[in-house]
Amino acid sequence: MNIVFNQVMPTPLASINHSAESIWGNKIELKSGERILLNASSGKGKSTFTFTSIGLRKDYSGEITYDGVDIKTFSPNDWTPIRQGKMSVIFQDLQLFLNLSVEDNLILKNMLQENVTVETLKKQLEFLGIGDKWKQDCGLLSMGQQQRVAIVRALSQPFEWLIMDEPFSHLDKENAQKCMKLIHERCEELGAGFVLTSLGDTYDYNYTRELKL
Amino acid sequence: MLNKVLFRNQDKKQLIIAMMGAFMGITFLVTSIHYLIKVNEFGKGEEILGPNTIIVQKKVSNASTLNLTKTDFSLKEIEKIKAKSFIQDVKPVESNNFDVSFETDRTEKLVPYFRSDVFVQTVDADFLDIKVPNWKWKKGDAFVPIILPREFIVMLNTFMSAQEIPQVSDDLAMKLKFKFRLRDPNNSSKEEHVNVQIIGFTNEVSSILVPASFMQYGNEVYAGTVENKITQIMISGKESEFGLVEEMLKERGLESKNSQMVVGRLKSVVGTLIFVVLGVSIIAVFVSGLVLIQYLQLLLSRNAYEVRTLLRMGYPPKDLIRSFSMYFIKIFGIVSVIGVGIFFIFKYFLDNMFETGGLYIGTDLACVSIAALALAYILFGLASYLNAKRGIFNEY
Repeated sequence: MNIVFNQVMPTPLASINHSAESIWGNKIELKSGERILLNASSGKGKSTFTFTSIGLRKDYSGEITYDGVDIKTFSPNDWTPIRQGKMSVIFQDLQLFLNLSVEDNLILKNMLQENVTVETLKKQLEFLGIGDKWKQDCGLLSMGQQQRVAIVRALSQPFEWLIMDEPFSHLDKENAQKCMKLIHERCEELGAGFVLTSLGDTYDYNYTRELKL
Repeated sequence: MLNKVLFRNQDKKQLIIAMMGAFMGITFLVTSIHYLIKVNEFGKGEEILGPNTIIVQKKVSNASTLNLTKTDFSLKEIEKIKAKSFIQDVKPVESNNFDVSFETDRTEKLVPYFRSDVFVQTVDADFLDIKVPNWKWKKGDAFVPIILPREFIVMLNTFMSAQEIPQVSDDLAMKLKFKFRLRDPNNSSKEEHVNVQIIGFTNEVSSILVPASFMQYGNEVYAGTVENKITQIMISGKESEFGLVEEMLKERGLESKNSQMVVGRLKSVVGTLIFVVLGVSIIAVFVSGLVLIQYLQLLLSRNAYEVRTLLRMGYPPKDLIRSFSMYFIKIFGIVSVIGVGIFFIFKYFLDNMFETGGLYIGTDLACVSIAALALAYILFGLASYLNAKRGIFNEY
């Protein structure tokens, strides 16, 4: 699925000067399977990019299209299959259910498509160093541990694009690289692309294209 | 799992208060509708006259005896009574202007021959609790259907008892052969015999009731040009407004049989009381339904994060709408089942109470009361669904 940002300008960012290569105000095409690093300093609209690209914000001018169709025309029911099988997101605030266990958070997502087995989920947690947290409430985990749960959750569904909003902000380099390895493997498996927003750290990520805001 | 997320943040105290309100409202709603119907049905079927129907005539005074005042009704008077808001219908009771006698058929073996001059009247079929096809007559028919005053059969049985002949039951009387002898009062040689058949009995009318077509025939053929005066009228009052009918009778110097008035008055008083309870119950069900809906909205706003996150994860809006609306439909269902259960307990005690008090109302279930509950349930289900839908889509 190709995503096109055509002259998109979010209303809150309209008063800011954006560079010539910025996504905002230009025509940018995100081609299927691309691995994109979106580097920008604070306040340039990284989270706004995440929210607008998956239809959670509509306060912008211009047009965002999925395979040529304006996403503003999608109804809530149209978004359901897209969010279940085409676009997966790791939000900056993670959006976990803190009063539920790690297990419940992951099962709740996996129930929609039953795309991976419980064993796979447990293995992924194990790989990321939090295998022992399966029964623990997410609210009792550190931010770094919660980030890893959110990553496993996002990878459990089928997707064509994985949108990640500063997903490693609370992780050290070693853990961030482990996460990146898992993400790469899953993208390879699904033939999917990703957009990774970052404040500047690249941690030797393997990306094919870098965009600016 | 979905319910574990959506219904975790609840104030159960508020939910229990709303459920108690709904439970009380439902119990009183079903109870009051049931008894409103039963009280209105009271007396139905026992009397051939329709419910809330009375026969009235002008009070006979000394002045009327001296022909100074009229005892008959003009058409204008009837129209005036009909125009009253609490009156459902008014029709004249027509009387015979020809001579008529009631006699047993000479071939009848079960009862001895007897003959008596009688007075016949006719009332509109709308005022009678009988099937209209049975209340018809045309010249050439095998018999004239008649409704006999019960006093008449009592009198007949008294006579039979004195003669040491077995008495006749209602059923047997309806099978016996009787005849009318019609005669012109001015020409005694002009007479005719017609077969009659008793199709019912009445406590409220002292004359024999015949179909209007037979009365018309008798008056045309055997009464000649004698003017047909209306001395009695039938009045059908609206439910629960019998007090106004009574007041009007007093104002206009009209009178009716006391028994007819007592039943009407009793039904009116009890009906009004139950109607008030019904009004309060409807308000209670409406308010408690509203509180439950408000609780649904509160639950939605308390779980806004959960709803939003589930939608972002890809949960279909219809799944979440179903979860919320079904939760409240189930709550209302549980409350309704308990309410109906308590109604049956109430019913057991109330039926006994009414019976002890001499009010023999029907004890079978008035299905309308359950239908009213079903309607309230459907409306609540619809309101829950629409509110849940609005709440979920607001989070999109």
